[in-house]
Amino acid sequence: MTESKAFNRVSTVILTVLVVLAMLPIVLIVVASFTAETTLIRDGYRFMPKELSLDAYYYMLKQGKIILRSYGVSFLVTFGGTAVSVLLTTMLAYPMARKAFKYRNLLAFFVFFTMLFNGGIVPSYIMWTRFFHIKDTIWALMIPNYLVSAFNVILVKNYFQNSIPDSLIEAAQLDGASEFQIFVKVMLPLAVPTVATISLFTGIAYWNDWTNGLYYVNNEKFYSIQQLLMKIMSNIQALRSNSNASLLGTGAVDLPSTSVRMAMAVIGILPIVIIYPFVQKYLVKGVIVGAVKG
Amino acid sequence: MRNVKRFLSLILTVAMTLGMVACGAAETASTDSAASTDSAKEAAAESSTPGSYDQVTYAYCTFNNIPTEEDLDVVEEAINEITREKIGAEITLMPIQIFEYSSKINLALQGGEKIDIFESLGDFGSYVSSDMCYDITDLIDTYAPGAKETVGDSWLDACKSNGVLYGIPTMKPIALTPMLIYRQDIADELGIDISKVNSIEDVTEVLEAVKAGKPDMIPLAAVQTGEIGLSTNYGEVDFLNDDRYKPIGVLVGDDLTVTDLYGTDHFRDLCKLVRGWYNNGLVMQDAATTNSAAAETMSSGNYFGYLAAYSYPEEDTAASLEAQVAGYDLGAKIIGDAYLSTSDINAITFMVASTTDVPEAALKFLDLTYTDEDIINLLIYGIEGRDYVKNADGSVSYPEGQDAATVPYTAQLSCGTLGNFFKMYQMGVANDASLEWELEQNKSAKTSPAMGFTFDSSNVKTQYTAVLNVISQYLPGLICGSLDPDTEIDKFIQALNDAGYQDILNEKQTQLDAWKAGK
Amino acid sequence: MEKTLVKSRKKRFSNLSLALIALPGVLYLIINNYIPMFGVFLAFKKYSLKKGIFGSDWAGFDNFKFLFKTKDAFIMTRNTVLYNVAFIIIGTIVAIAVAVMMCELGDKKRVKGFQALLLLPNLLSWVVIGFIVYAFLNADSGYLNNTVLRTLGINPVSWYATTGPWPAILIIVFLWKNMGYQSIVYMASISGIDKSIYEAAAIDGASKMKQIFKITLPLLKPTVITLVLMSIGRIFYSDFGLFYQVPQNSGALFNVTQTIDTYVYRGLMELNDVGMSAAAGLYQSFVGFVLVLIANFTVRKIDPDNALF
Repeated sequence: MTESKAFNRVSTVILTVLVVLAMLPIVLIVVASFTAETTLIRDGYRFMPKELSLDAYYYMLKQGKIILRSYGVSFLVTFGGTAVSVLLTTMLAYPMARKAFKYRNLLAFFVFFTMLFNGGIVPSYIMWTRFFHIKDTIWALMIPNYLVSAFNVILVKNYFQNSIPDSLIEAAQLDGASEFQIFVKVMLPLAVPTVATISLFTGIAYWNDWTNGLYYVNNEKFYSIQQLLMKIMSNIQALRSNSNASLLGTGAVDLPSTSVRMAMAVIGILPIVIIYPFVQKYLVKGVIVGAVKG
Repeated sequence: MRNVKRFLSLILTVAMTLGMVACGAAETASTDSAASTDSAKEAAAESSTPGSYDQVTYAYCTFNNIPTEEDLDVVEEAINEITREKIGAEITLMPIQIFEYSSKINLALQGGEKIDIFESLGDFGSYVSSDMCYDITDLIDTYAPGAKETVGDSWLDACKSNGVLYGIPTMKPIALTPMLIYRQDIADELGIDISKVNSIEDVTEVLEAVKAGKPDMIPLAAVQTGEIGLSTNYGEVDFLNDDRYKPIGVLVGDDLTVTDLYGTDHFRDLCKLVRGWYNNGLVMQDAATTNSAAAETMSSGNYFGYLAAYSYPEEDTAASLEAQVAGYDLGAKIIGDAYLSTSDINAITFMVASTTDVPEAALKFLDLTYTDEDIINLLIYGIEGRDYVKNADGSVSYPEGQDAATVPYTAQLSCGTLGNFFKMYQMGVANDASLEWELEQNKSAKTSPAMGFTFDSSNVKTQYTAVLNVISQYLPGLICGSLDPDTEIDKFIQALNDAGYQDILNEKQTQLDAWKAGK
Repeated sequence: MEKTLVKSRKKRFSNLSLALIALPGVLYLIINNYIPMFGVFLAFKKYSLKKGIFGSDWAGFDNFKFLFKTKDAFIMTRNTVLYNVAFIIIGTIVAIAVAVMMCELGDKKRVKGFQALLLLPNLLSWVVIGFIVYAFLNADSGYLNNTVLRTLGINPVSWYATTGPWPAILIIVFLWKNMGYQSIVYMASISGIDKSIYEAAAIDGASKMKQIFKITLPLLKPTVITLVLMSIGRIFYSDFGLFYQVPQNSGALFNVTQTIDTYVYRGLMELNDVGMSAAAGLYQSFVGFVLVLIANFTVRKIDPDNALF
């Protein structure tokens, strides 16, 4: 068993190196968010800056309850949207995975086609705002685009098809279960790893999205955290950019810019960093549960 | 596979039918409103019955926070009290953040939403060519005479295309004078006589003095990405509707021949000048790609100055910029003359949407923003007492303990983008003498001979995309000194010609000649 | 006779229930994806707001011309395809390697930590990543020039003006952002493999490496094929953030960083032309579609279970 130990050791080393490399830039961002603006410009980004300051975070705090509210919006949209999405996605994937289903190839093509062709934002916008009236509502953040992703559907279908033996399905059928019962009682419990995977992907997609907000939300009450950060950032840039100097009056504003961008990045990913460990256990759970006799 | 094909065609048919129905409805909405422009005149007449006012939606861009519905309503109501009386209309305010303004306006109009007045932010030409603006040539005399008079006929010409008037430019200090903004304290310390600096070539000496006296400082900072100030110092060049940072075919001086800017000796000399600066360490090395705008880099204390163009007098400019650069003492020196071209004037133009059903009312309200002090100040500052207070000297400030982020409503930072700047209360720095100087500049700045000409690029769209890409590739490097002009300018011109540059120049010349003939 | 009748009725019922289960998802896709597809027409029209989508004039293939006319068009297409191929190959290998290593190490806290940390880069937006790369590479005060090269005694390099290292830089940045994310898919698949197979192999004396190559990798084949097929469908698309933000929109680097998406963005930003952007989108979709059909067809011939459809 020494070969196994050696393998493990090598793996650990390689992974550690990769992780350190991956984290370095992020550490840099966090440090930069705590660095004084003038030091940042003079010395560039450093791991050990000459001068630390909380200015960037004070600036963000001054925005005050807007930030809290948009965190709330983001959380609501992410959890709500992900839950519904997972449900719809697995329900769509299951028939595609059943070899006995007459239309499975059709369905597969139907789903995949949406990954390739896209009518652009204008028709979508017209449809969602004029027929479904979702503009400036919380639904505008949840429904367009992310609720069912063809990529996720195909991933789940794959998992159903390859990692769950047909014998189980046949056994259930012999027991007189309906398709729906098979889906709920057999497929879902065994598909925990893939469900966790698409929950993670969908959650990240919702959390990071700001385009839905850009198109469909004007009321700041419904800004997600990413849209809020975009707004703060773009306003700073617009005010700083000299091509806009001719657009503005003598409204002088004091804005710490670079460190604020870094603070924003930190604020943007913080919640996920905190929550992820809880989600993670389901991903690796399958290692224990996945064993199937026969 | 056969099943797939059948299904596919079924789906497409269903999608198309549903889509047609959807668009049919959208269509009828917009064709209705387009067709009803004639009947709108009668409708406007009959809607002056009490209790039914014209509804005008005014979409403007703001740099401040967007207020809540309730707070906005109060301001709207205050405005409506005036407008009901004066023009028989009620206004709905639609403030939109600057960074999403253009996309939201485009989407909203394309989606058939009601927006009656909106502004262009430098893209006047493209709004005109996608038919988004209402033709107000005949209406302006009747419904917006005040605005017309304030702005003046020659400025209005800048908002015409093919003889048709599409909008009204904002009334504000527009003439941009190229200036050197520099650290006053360092200049004093090194004994540099700034009054001798009257052109961009003179700047070299100053930069060298700074380099010699303060070797750790980088004398010249970039104004913004890919720009160290050269494009504001071309002299009397009219960019013929292009973005000043990506000009394609320009007019030089009084000559009405469309010229290739990049082939001129003047351009070559400027590039050589900057290249010299670059090689001697007088300018920031990464200017072509830097992320930081001048204000940021200046705050670090590591840079001496930058070149930009502003429309305010020297002292005002320096004073207002000081707050942005962490309080360093700044000075401003004019190094060139202002030059007005069409795109400077129509950069911010207020237009009536082509899909509007109340063009007259919209114009009347627009007129008020140029002539009525109360309206304009309500728009910019909000409600007196709640959102701002008046000071003894006539200026205004935020109420005790509040600022731009905490008051219920403010659009103070939009003060250069709405209506008539000169009728607004001033916050902070400016005073009457400055206002006069600015008005004077507006009137007396040299104007391009092509004032009033707007270029329609639809015939050369393909070339435009290719040429713009070539420009993005070479120009920032050339005007920031990181590319060697001796070798690269020729390559640049060659690449431009390969991309169809000459076609665009020819097209501009043709249109320019036609415009000239039609005058 | 009876039996077959019952069986076929059961089959029909089964088909019907399955169809019903799929229905909500299908409805959503129709509404969200298929109905707006009529916007594809815009690629062939000269769009005018007043005339609307259906009333605007037809423009034939005019809107497509800008995608082909110049030398730049060739460069952008070449870049897009080559980078995608590199990403598919290198990305897959790295993701599988990482996934295998993590699964082999088992359910320890350390592994969980690794996975979480590797995932972090994916959460950052490209704008922020562009800043980080800039922090390393900028000529005046970048970490690389200022600290690393200076101590080594090498002259500072103007990274944003030299094209040579950029393909490598972009691939590294891509891996950095995606390897944690992509490896999750593979980890999920690996964890679905029946442990008893490994036990049996171990008893037979197979080494770890042999187990990986003979058991794990072959069982990952379906997932790999699926992911590769999907990537082929998107081969004319590129991640805009990666190719625009990371090189900081530097013109000097266009030859190696320009992709179809950045070219379209740069060209159309001024023009605001709805028809042309629709044409670009249609072009990318169509090519991807044809390629996927071919690829899928080939896979079908070799390994029918794993074809996408």
